[in-house]
Amino acid sequence: MKILRFIVARLLQSVPVLLGVSIVTFLLMVNTPGDPIRLLVGVRASDETIAIIRDRYGLDDPILSQYFTYLGNLVQGDLGASLRFRVPVSELIGQFYPVTLFLVVYSIVLILPPVILLSVWSAKRPNGPADQIIRIVGVVGLAMPVFWVGLLFARFFGVTLGLFPVSGFGDTIPQHFLHLFLPALTTAIWVVPILTRNLRSALLDEMNRDYVTAGMSKGLGASQVFRTHVFPNSVLPTLNLFAVIVAYLLGGSVIVETVYAVPGMGKLMVDSILARDYFVVQGATLVFALTTIVVMLAVDILSALIDPRINT
Amino acid sequence: MINAKGLVIVTFTAATLAGGSFAQDIVRIASPNKVTTLDPIASAAAGNIEAFGQLYARLLRKDRDGNLQPALAESWTISDDGLTYTFDLRDAKFSDGTTITAEDVAFSLNRVAKDEASAYPAAYAPVSAFTAVDDDTVTLTLEYPSAPMLSYMEIFNAGIISKDDVEARGEEAFAGDPVTSGPFMVEAWKPNDRLTLKANPNYWRDGYPKVAGADLIEVQDDNTRTSMMLAGEIDASRGVPFAQVDEVDGSDSVTVPLSPSTLIYGVMPNHAKAPFDNLNVRKAAAMALNREATTKAMTLGKAVVANSTLPNALTFHNADIAPPAYDPAAARELLESEGALGAEITLMITPSFEQAATLLKAQWDAAGFKTTVERVDGGLWWDRLTKGDYQVTINWWYNETEDPDLAVRWAVCGSCGNNSYYTNYNNDDVNQMVEDALREQDEAKRGALYKEIQRISTEELAQIPLYYPPFANAYSTRIKGLTLTPSLQWTLEETEIVN
Amino acid sequence: MKLSPMFVCGATLVAVWSLIALAAPLLATHDPYAIDFEALLAPPSAEHWFGSDNVGRDTYSRVIYGSRLALYIGLLGVIAPMVIGMTIGLLAGYFGGWVDTIAMRILDITVPFPFFVLVLSIVAVLGPGIENYFIALALVGWVGYARLARAEAIVLRSSEFVLAARTMGFSHPYILFRHVLPNALSPVVVYMMTDVTLVILFGAALGFLGMGVSPPAAEWGVMIAEGQIYISTAWWISFFPGLAMVLIGVGFALMGDGLAKMLRIER
Repeated sequence: MKILRFIVARLLQSVPVLLGVSIVTFLLMVNTPGDPIRLLVGVRASDETIAIIRDRYGLDDPILSQYFTYLGNLVQGDLGASLRFRVPVSELIGQFYPVTLFLVVYSIVLILPPVILLSVWSAKRPNGPADQIIRIVGVVGLAMPVFWVGLLFARFFGVTLGLFPVSGFGDTIPQHFLHLFLPALTTAIWVVPILTRNLRSALLDEMNRDYVTAGMSKGLGASQVFRTHVFPNSVLPTLNLFAVIVAYLLGGSVIVETVYAVPGMGKLMVDSILARDYFVVQGATLVFALTTIVVMLAVDILSALIDPRINT
Repeated sequence: MINAKGLVIVTFTAATLAGGSFAQDIVRIASPNKVTTLDPIASAAAGNIEAFGQLYARLLRKDRDGNLQPALAESWTISDDGLTYTFDLRDAKFSDGTTITAEDVAFSLNRVAKDEASAYPAAYAPVSAFTAVDDDTVTLTLEYPSAPMLSYMEIFNAGIISKDDVEARGEEAFAGDPVTSGPFMVEAWKPNDRLTLKANPNYWRDGYPKVAGADLIEVQDDNTRTSMMLAGEIDASRGVPFAQVDEVDGSDSVTVPLSPSTLIYGVMPNHAKAPFDNLNVRKAAAMALNREATTKAMTLGKAVVANSTLPNALTFHNADIAPPAYDPAAARELLESEGALGAEITLMITPSFEQAATLLKAQWDAAGFKTTVERVDGGLWWDRLTKGDYQVTINWWYNETEDPDLAVRWAVCGSCGNNSYYTNYNNDDVNQMVEDALREQDEAKRGALYKEIQRISTEELAQIPLYYPPFANAYSTRIKGLTLTPSLQWTLEETEIVN
Repeated sequence: MKLSPMFVCGATLVAVWSLIALAAPLLATHDPYAIDFEALLAPPSAEHWFGSDNVGRDTYSRVIYGSRLALYIGLLGVIAPMVIGMTIGLLAGYFGGWVDTIAMRILDITVPFPFFVLVLSIVAVLGPGIENYFIALALVGWVGYARLARAEAIVLRSSEFVLAARTMGFSHPYILFRHVLPNALSPVVVYMMTDVTLVILFGAALGFLGMGVSPPAAEWGVMIAEGQIYISTAWWISFFPGLAMVLIGVGFALMGDGLAKMLRIER
């Protein structure tokens, strides 16, 4: 019951946050120079045609009234329509969101095993040779531009070896796994080092605690202490980081989806910003924000379940 | 011997087979240009043009050699005064099986000519009306003669749509999932991703299209398209960067033929703003440029240096003219004499012109300009261009037909609505000749007018022409017969899958 | 405090890059902006050590000069967010109450935005250019610093020496500057070291999407982006700036890790 009240309270708290997000996005979009209609009707259209269509779409209404119209529709669950495609934004999101969600979850699945393996390995002998090598390789992975890694992977794994598709999403679940392998791998290259570094620190922090020393002195084996005490306690801080990483992955999807022509939200977002497709940017940002909020909530609940000391 | 790699491939192939999606009987084309609407009058953007041709048949069509042939119109007559065209329609059906009537034709063509939201009605300015005389006959009456009018019955926005369909479901529903008259119909449209087409069983040309369907996939990034092409995930790639043509062409299963286009790349000075309102400054800017070397650097020798303000693929192209030759010392002197030495100019570009901007800046600065490059995204570029809020920029354009009428209206006419491609170049003599040439029925006299227009506008450097590039599209050897016509139409209906 | 070897390695690397940036005119063999029609896409040679690019510019000289821009972007791009973030975080954490409430609400709104998308939108509003990238980073990037500083300030607020200082009658500004700030600085500096790498990378990613630094600037990210289509014909155009980026990234990251160890704040 307590947990339910906690969830409801948190969801209510997120309403003003989402409102803030929508105001910020709206202000950004209306202040972006460039006319969506010019891009829509193409290079040859006359100024008169543009003016007529702008008027038709209500783009010349006062900004405040545009926002309130938008907000009014939003409350009724209507995200508006794309200026470019004249289809409902919700339809576009329904089409692209699952792809990005699949990619994010897939990336996480690929990321977690190496993170756990590498951080435990390097925390066992801090600053030993393994730790140093993992650190250096990690930094190299972190410092390589994602789009460059993506291009190299596509050429090597896709073209030279012919192992994986270099584009698209596929139609069936096995195909999704196949098509999104390279995008997920490319994402892993820069996320694994970040998470590894954090989990390693958390592990080291825990190992320096009194109870570990005490456990060791009582004659418990080092690996047993590690498994039963150190590791579980280190998961919590990493779990928190996890929520931040999901936000990162959503933002990072912009690049990998462009490089691998994956029809996902990141690509939709960039294209819509470039085309000044206001309502799509609005809707996509809200969905991104909502996703992050839900993940954070989930993390908090999970933390609470793992460690009842955390005040829910 | 099956090695590890082979095994992996077998496994994955099996997975793909299990998925059941076969790309074998459809043609997959990747293009950087987006499809944003399926309504032929709603947009003149490149991605839509590429799609319209597949969806809507026109009264006439062009054969492989670029000659006009009957299409939905079986035959036609033109009155002696050139003001009345009578088209006899053939028996043809829409994709939903209903008959294409004269009503539909008149409705479609009046719509593109007269609807206030028609994106590019320039070709139809002389039109008085299209009228359905009976079920099989349509007349077109003009207010004044237009020499290229017949060829305009073939361009991308002259497609025939179903009046019943538009009226029954409304324009918005139509624009997303139309009843079609062309070789293909819509199987599925995923905006911002792909348009999936399937063969229209009711298409008037018997035996066409030869493939079951096609995917028009939007892929922005040049490298991604190339990777997809090399990996065999697509059958055609629109716009291979010249830097990659040889590499892609060298691949076993891919060819990159360089095919003729009506494209022209040029430098666009804003004639309404200092310092480029001054002809001598424009001349200095032209003389400062080694256009041969610039062209070679940008296209790796795969394009022809441009000599006129109009594309060389157009009829009546004037081969006897040229912008001032490369002479940086003379350019500097000219700037000095105009008191414009050290003039600060801002070169506005879109991201695709980075290399060009670097080349131009270096050469202009060497001749005494002080150039700042300002990169903006496409949305901002169009906004500032059309508002005249720039000093100089670079871009390309193409022409729908080989006839130069639309080209001169677009590029060098100050009174045709677009202010000479928004450069504000405005010469009354040129404007008058543009109108005269349209009405002129005598080929030789028409040709002379267009040559004169080119001579004047090149001499006055309406734009500084850079080069005429060919289309460099990549095609898989799996297919045969696919090409992009100079008017940006894929010849998909004649495409065959050979293995 | 004992210098950790990691810190020394990292600091050396960063110092070397700083020297390269300072001495760029001496080290460069060519004018980094001079085009050369005779040397388009020339492979590495005695004349062009790292080859030349698609307009004949010397890649080596551009990589050398690019270090200036990389350090400029890296350092300036984190300093403003750090100053803003620390100020807000310290004030919020130290004073609590409505200051904290307002700061936290702003934080709440910023966090669910995908960082990169927000930077991208702001750059779209302001227009391209390094200055605008800095503004975008300052508007978005301060959040991380504010969180860290606030957390430290909350702990320090109730620490013995701050309470002692209060009873001795020292003013709030004095305590904030003399006691809270120095103690809160160490985790922030460590965070900054990784942030520098990310900021340089984000700049490169903007270049890839066509919204980065305008040509003909010698910026590694833009150089990599430009060199992409030559990946199999002229690999040197993107390889060398890529290598430089990794080397500077390793330097800052090692410095950060070393600092963390020295200050005993592994995080």
